[in-house]
Amino acid sequence: MRDSATAIEAARRLALSAALLAGSVLTDSAIEHYRGSFRNRAMYTPLASAALAVGAGLLAMCDPRPAPHRGRSAVNTVAAAVGLAGLGFHIYNVTKRPGGVSWLNLFYAAPLGAPTALTFAGALGWSAEQLRAQPARGSARLFGMQAHQALAAISAAGLIGTAAEAALLHFRGAYHNPAMVLPVTAPPVGAALLAWSVCSPAPKPRGLARMWLKLTAFLGFAGAGFHAYGVSRNMGGWRNWRQNLLNGPPIPAPPAFTALALSGLAALLLRGDRS
Amino acid sequence: MLAKRGTPSWNPQTRRVIEERLAINPDEHRFLADAEWLTLKAVCARIVPQPPERARPAPIAAMIDRKLAANGSDGYRDTRLPPLREAWHRALRALDAEARALRSCPFRDLGCTDQDALLGSVQKGEAHDPSWGDMPPQLFFAKRLLHDALSAYYADPHAWNEIGFGGPASPRGYVRMNYDRRDPWEASEAHPGRGARALRENERVGRR
Repeated sequence: MRDSATAIEAARRLALSAALLAGSVLTDSAIEHYRGSFRNRAMYTPLASAALAVGAGLLAMCDPRPAPHRGRSAVNTVAAAVGLAGLGFHIYNVTKRPGGVSWLNLFYAAPLGAPTALTFAGALGWSAEQLRAQPARGSARLFGMQAHQALAAISAAGLIGTAAEAALLHFRGAYHNPAMVLPVTAPPVGAALLAWSVCSPAPKPRGLARMWLKLTAFLGFAGAGFHAYGVSRNMGGWRNWRQNLLNGPPIPAPPAFTALALSGLAALLLRGDRS
Repeated sequence: MLAKRGTPSWNPQTRRVIEERLAINPDEHRFLADAEWLTLKAVCARIVPQPPERARPAPIAAMIDRKLAANGSDGYRDTRLPPLREAWHRALRALDAEARALRSCPFRDLGCTDQDALLGSVQKGEAHDPSWGDMPPQLFFAKRLLHDALSAYYADPHAWNEIGFGGPASPRGYVRMNYDRRDPWEASEAHPGRGARALRENERVGRR
């Protein structure tokens, strides 16, 4: 009973992560694809898919039943596929421009990390559904391995990938604010601590990882605040919001760290003792 | 373009700068001597011929003269060229010397064909009069003459209309950065077949 209650709780936390990550993708792609004037009809797809994924995640958070929901699983699978398609489109967008893969195009053409976030959201949401029918400790399995290890791997990969995207774009901004090094350094440390704690039987790394992931989660919201400040510093400030929201640092992007930190914490919850 | 003056697309600084620019007298020269000034006007008329029916042609020569008077700099210069004022002085005198060698009259009195031929020889580096000194004529043509004349021409709001430029970036800014993309405060282009649509879109431009 306690095991399956933990599984449901982990599933609901994962659903929250998925909803938050999909929400970040929805808002960010809405703003940026609007900036691109929806030049390619396919640019509407991630908005629809991410919106459905947000809805599925919110419903899953409120659902206590110990069975995977077929509709929500389907929405998440589609989201993961749409993300991969988006990655393909974005790679094409970068490589088709004069200069191909160059600093200029990596900075100013379509960002490669953004559609990948939708794939991660779909993977987390789908995992949340699968966990519902499974016992928590020891025998819960996902993607052919132990559930907590699979989720730790997904979360760690997501944290590192998002940190890499932030590193590239903060490099484009020349790290003009010292705080810009935080999203490049803290999440990879969290990823490393997460990996260590699922591979090691000792309890100490778990405590450290939990603390660091909570810090990373906070960093996600702090980042959104910093980005809002950055938007206000542009010419015309908030009065010129129609242009500055598009031009300035993307406000919906940093909460992706929060979402991935939460999924890492859910993995730790599955792994062992609650603090 | 000037219809945007009263819209939110221009701010007081923009209006001030453009008004100052539009108030430039095309016949007034402050820095160059009379002979040099007349040569400069003739050169600008050949490099950037403007439609005769234009009510107010862009005052290219006057803008270059102002730049010389202010001893303005672009912040960079090819090291093979002398500084701005020296380069222009030398070139204007050399052009007159070349014209005298060709037809025994100053550059401004040559016929259009001869003026074009002379400028062409400067462009190709085939001008050899000693008054050029150590300044390579083709380099002056490319980096000084063309640079200054064309930046002066395209600084004029009427030239912006010609190329469909949306105007000064302040205060709205251009954020759609790829080719052929339009920010909502720019004019919509009436390509063949979408004239009516462009007209409808342009009714809303600059209002908000």
